[in-house]
Amino acid sequence: MKLDFSFIWTACVGLLPAVPTTLKITVVSVLCGLAIGTFVALCRMYRVPVLHRIAAAYVTVIRGTPMLTHLLILYVSIPLVVDGLADRFDWSFRSAQIPMIGFAYLSFSITAGAYLSEVVRSGLLAVNKGQMEAAHAVGMTTVQGLRRIVFPQAFAAALPNLTNSLIGMLHGSTLAFTVSVVDINAQAEILATTNWKFFEAYLAAALLFWGMTVLIERLSALLERRVTRYNRGGVA
Amino acid sequence: MIRLQGIRKAFGKNEVLKGIDLTVDKGEVVAILGPSGSGKTTLLRCINYLEKPSDGEISIDEFAVNCRKPAKKDIHALRRKTAMVFQQYNLFRHKTALENVMEGLVVVKKLPKAEARQKSVELLEKVGLGDKLDAYPSQLSGGQQQRVGIARALALNPEVILFDEPTSALDPELVGEVLAVIRKIAKEGITMIIVTHEMSFAQEVANHIVFMEGGAVVEEGPPKTIFQSPKEERTRQFLARFTSDSAYSI
Repeated sequence: MKLDFSFIWTACVGLLPAVPTTLKITVVSVLCGLAIGTFVALCRMYRVPVLHRIAAAYVTVIRGTPMLTHLLILYVSIPLVVDGLADRFDWSFRSAQIPMIGFAYLSFSITAGAYLSEVVRSGLLAVNKGQMEAAHAVGMTTVQGLRRIVFPQAFAAALPNLTNSLIGMLHGSTLAFTVSVVDINAQAEILATTNWKFFEAYLAAALLFWGMTVLIERLSALLERRVTRYNRGGVA
Repeated sequence: MIRLQGIRKAFGKNEVLKGIDLTVDKGEVVAILGPSGSGKTTLLRCINYLEKPSDGEISIDEFAVNCRKPAKKDIHALRRKTAMVFQQYNLFRHKTALENVMEGLVVVKKLPKAEARQKSVELLEKVGLGDKLDAYPSQLSGGQQQRVGIARALALNPEVILFDEPTSALDPELVGEVLAVIRKIAKEGITMIIVTHEMSFAQEVANHIVFMEGGAVVEEGPPKTIFQSPKEERTRQFLARFTSDSAYSI
């Protein structure tokens, strides 16, 4: 077998149109997941009646099942529910009108929410409880104290794990091909089969993913240096 | 005037405060003394509801909180009338000395930033940290951090400042600078309640001494009486260890 180096480059260029799809799935899932995760973490930490039990169940069920399974379950169940409701209430909307990428957004956000809730929780736990006490003592409400005092410090503490989750989701987003979304990996598959050059196409996909990962790592390192500036110590 | 009536606090079955009554007049400096575990710190933390009393009433002038059924906004109001200086300083770690002092003024008191800044700079100069405005807590010594903590409390212009063992986490060399600042503001007529183990300091700076043990007030009175002729045997025993050799001169 001979490796066609020039085709690796051709494939890289051919994969570029799929990059936005991969990035969209990753960013949307991580941002929505972060919102869900923060809410879940707060419910659990403050033991909000009823909600904290639901939150705990959500985390164990979602983390206990594969991301691909979530996607497939939603993919077959949502059309059933939507069309069932449409029949009953005479809507003109049909499940076929839902864009495929919508399933990926929803499913991956739910997955990310469960994992990120633990990342957020560990970040919040890393903040000394004296910080919230001081916020209260100064006259702030709990919400003000969380927003102004606790969250910025929790974010700094959680950043390495958040980066991990972001990279995990970037790579995990390749599962979207199972619901016919053409991301980088699916595009590579297409290029591979049409040109009969599998190895080169897959290598090109790997290179792109690696490049994006390195970029995320760099950005995260920069951000980390910024947000933990206060913790550097040494006399000014 | 601050008035505590029948303050009780239990952690589970362990009753830490067994009905404390205490009145602090405006401008008075009260020192609460007592052995470890006597409930001094818990009492102090009950005054601004960092600890939830199980029973009793806390009042500041006309404003009163019934600890049996406190409304959320009453707790909030109580906290805005008080300020606290913590044993572990608890400065906001991601904010500079200046931002720490400004935070309450801007967020809680809604002062315009420029005004808050000016006031904060003045206060930091007053505690001798005019050259550390932009330093983060991690860049300050314990004594400096605690002085920022005092400036932060002063900025809020509270009815009372609560000091929770303000020098216990400091090494002996730094105790003096913090006590000097407290002594200075005590002279300005700010009402203060201080939980401390610095006996000689309490004797010097306080107008009123409260001696606690086992969750109850054993004895209270002017420093002279408490230190020189305490009525209770327990007070005498406790103070005997300090009157003979004071730990450090200040």
